[in-house]
Amino acid sequence: MAQDPATSHAAPDLSVQLGPLRLKNPVLTASGTFGYGREYADFVDPGRLGAVVVKGISLLPRAGNPPPRLVETPAGLINAIGLENVGVEAFLRDKLPYLRKRQATVIVNIFGNTIEEYEALAARLDGAEGVSAIEINISCPNVKQGGMVFGTDPDMAARVVEAARRATHLPLITKLTPNVTRMADIARAAVDAGSDILSCINTVAAMAVDAFSRRPKLANVVGGLSGPAIKPIALRCTYEVAQAVSCPVIGIGGIVEATDALEFLLVGARAVQVGTATFIRPRAVQEIIDGIERFLRVEGIERVEDYIGTLDTKCLFPFAEAACEVVAEEMAQ
Amino acid sequence: MTQSDYSPTAIQEEAVVIDQQPVAHLTYRLRLEAPRMAGKARCGQFLMLQVRDGLEPLLRRPLSFHRILPEEGAVELLYRVMGRGTWLLSRTAPGMRLSLLGPLGNGFILPQDLGRPVAVVAGGIGIAPLMELLARLDTQRRERGLSGRTAHLFYGARTAAELLPDEAFSGLDIALHRSTDDGTAGFSGRVTQLLKETAEALSLPFQELFACGPLAMQYHVAQWAAAQGISAQLSLESLMACGLGACLGCALPAPSPHEPGADHYAHVCKDGPIFKGDAILWHKIRQPHMPHPTFLYS
Repeated sequence: MAQDPATSHAAPDLSVQLGPLRLKNPVLTASGTFGYGREYADFVDPGRLGAVVVKGISLLPRAGNPPPRLVETPAGLINAIGLENVGVEAFLRDKLPYLRKRQATVIVNIFGNTIEEYEALAARLDGAEGVSAIEINISCPNVKQGGMVFGTDPDMAARVVEAARRATHLPLITKLTPNVTRMADIARAAVDAGSDILSCINTVAAMAVDAFSRRPKLANVVGGLSGPAIKPIALRCTYEVAQAVSCPVIGIGGIVEATDALEFLLVGARAVQVGTATFIRPRAVQEIIDGIERFLRVEGIERVEDYIGTLDTKCLFPFAEAACEVVAEEMAQ
Repeated sequence: MTQSDYSPTAIQEEAVVIDQQPVAHLTYRLRLEAPRMAGKARCGQFLMLQVRDGLEPLLRRPLSFHRILPEEGAVELLYRVMGRGTWLLSRTAPGMRLSLLGPLGNGFILPQDLGRPVAVVAGGIGIAPLMELLARLDTQRRERGLSGRTAHLFYGARTAAELLPDEAFSGLDIALHRSTDDGTAGFSGRVTQLLKETAEALSLPFQELFACGPLAMQYHVAQWAAAQGISAQLSLESLMACGLGACLGCALPAPSPHEPGADHYAHVCKDGPIFKGDAILWHKIRQPHMPHPTFLYS
């Protein structure tokens, strides 16, 4: 009797090394889609995830944008939350203990209005027990000051990363925006300034209006698009950034199932973040981890790292090539 | 996480459609076999329902519990076709499966003193969560052997075709006051006007008011209740992505608990959907006009 291919191989090694950061598996939550972990306590054990990237934290609490903050679009979601968060002190006091108790790997996404605020946040988190890395958000499209302003200019991006680098020894991840002409320029600037890892992409600047009321559907008028609609864009961005820099890259954008995550790994991402899918399937991140493990077993791949970046771009049309060989042989006879 | 020290409050359950009936203009009552949900849900809570598998439409829809029937292992939802999601849902046939996430939110707090009159105000599809409330009030009164009607339902819609038929309330011992904006059924005018006039004419000493309906209606009801010194519980709605407090999309302006006057938002999914009348800063709400593109769906 044939053996189930999923059980015919030993348990694969899912752990990945991202520069100074070692993760138990390559699937992380995306900032702003998993709250501070506790919101999903009924569905997911955060300790089993690659890491939990928490909702963007600022020095002081932020109220966020007025509603409406969300609009659904074909296979996508536009949001303009405006970085509502409890502030770094309340995060450390009230939110982090739960994640520590669950032994989660915690990555804190930080956001500042000024370079000094980024530096102060990095310094505050540097000594915090239970924080494994910092993700610098220089790519939020939904706030007037800071945010994407830093992420669309290589010099500004470099200054933010340098400031954070001065303030902390923690691994630094810089989250890039796709809303630029050449992401590779920003990527190189961030790496040169001391970023250990890059993550991409943040949401794609987008808009929705109402034909009946003639009004924008978001109070902020414009917002950021996420979800399956942006996956092909995100995949291309991740591929280009991974080609442009030598540091590890985390792929983000529209990942819903394990095969989506594998596609990002294939084009060179060393890990992925899952965001919008969690809203629809609370266990999405865990399901994707399980799906990757099953894929590796079926394919007989021992380590997930052996799969990363193995995209074959040399022979795009193997069928055509094989057919040509056959024809050539026949002609030669 | 061990099983013994862990009792989830929200669950994901695959429900089976038992029955779906059109009950008013573009309004459907959907009965689902969902024994776990029925066993956990409380009156006034809601669930997130995926109208079909796949990526389109992407998000779940928040819908309140219209009836919670633990003995029958079923829940009922009442909804109006407002857009693509609810239109697709109206095409759902018995036997089909729908993914539910819930129960979510806080729920109504039922009054302690069942002897005093209670006002229940429904505008249009706002009747959805109030039916379970009326049923609970009715059951409690029966259990305690109380006689006489104390629950007054003020139920308004734009036109008669949008009202649930009277049979929908036939099992309940309540005083039903109906209104339509165009005068095609019951009192001619707004339900808020009907509420005021009836309360004055019958000099009803309401202790508690429950309401669900359009935002403008809820605002007027909250103002009136506050002026009368009546405690009001309002069931509010919002666009939502997660329903669990993570996306922070369902924000409503609320008084700040820390700094008076500072911008602050409550979240309908976690802080609500039931709010006290004074828990919302009504004048700060900038809700877009909700269109009714019914010609697209009828």
